[in-house]
Amino acid sequence: MRFQDAAPDARAIVYAGIQADPLVGRLAELLDGASTAQLVLARAVMNGETTDPDTWRSMVPACFPDDRSEAILTASLQVAERGEQVRSQFRGAIVEALTERLLRRRATAANVIRRERRILFDGVRAEIHPYDVTVELPDAAEAYDCKWGARGINADVLHQLDDARLHAAGEDDRLLVGLIVFDTRLACLVRLEQMTAPHEATRLVTIESLAGLARGRP
Amino acid sequence: MSETVGELLDRASSALEALGLLGEEIEDEWSFVTDLVAAQRERFGAIAQQRGPESAVPSAVAAIERAVAETQSIADPHRAIDWLSTFPDLVALALDEPAGGA
Repeated sequence: MRFQDAAPDARAIVYAGIQADPLVGRLAELLDGASTAQLVLARAVMNGETTDPDTWRSMVPACFPDDRSEAILTASLQVAERGEQVRSQFRGAIVEALTERLLRRRATAANVIRRERRILFDGVRAEIHPYDVTVELPDAAEAYDCKWGARGINADVLHQLDDARLHAAGEDDRLLVGLIVFDTRLACLVRLEQMTAPHEATRLVTIESLAGLARGRP
Repeated sequence: MSETVGELLDRASSALEALGLLGEEIEDEWSFVTDLVAAQRERFGAIAQQRGPESAVPSAVAAIERAVAETQSIADPHRAIDWLSTFPDLVALALDEPAGGA
């Protein structure tokens, strides 16, 4: 098993601009260490219609008054105020950036946490879609796909993750595969119940368990 | 007289059903939408069973009113689907219940 940078296509080049936007990094920083209520606030605002901050303060009283909540609200509104397509790209990039940050907190070396990587196995055709975030440690590798919502979970991603795990096992390598979903566990479980694609060995990290990603393997 | 938790949850349930109807317009997601609405309805029901007659605090009443109003401003069925998991969490947090529900 070996990891490789994905060859950038046109979509990836455009998306790289989104990933590099300071707002993405700012939100990932704010959400790293946020409470579950604050994560719910961020998700609601970035999914929402209204951009009036007072409305959000009264809608999520559990988060206010609080400096971090105010900062999350301000940054989330900046995402919400963008057009629908850009908003959608930002949300995905934020989940990836947050995942990377959380994993780096338990990484032994900076270069073991990577983005947009393919995993290659002998005699197996490489998957088209790269993994969003990988932990490239010998004997303890991890590969994650990041989603903004439960609805993003589909058969293709479940097959890709499980196939990678099985191919790794076939080469006597250990590869933990997982989904990082910026949504509730309940919504993800409802989604997964409808899926026949294999997912029993795929770890699920949701809004409620996100912080744990920084402490150890899910 | 102040509103009870049960009355607030009734209003939240109506808003949830309306979101579900909007989300069902995405035919490919019909099953996900109906199952998620059912799961969230059950979650509201469990809270109502425990705390239905309790008087709701003013901040919870205001929070849920605002959240219901937000659902009513949603016209896009894709966004409605996103809100099927977001809205119940806002209701739960307003009632000092844990987010998530699983």
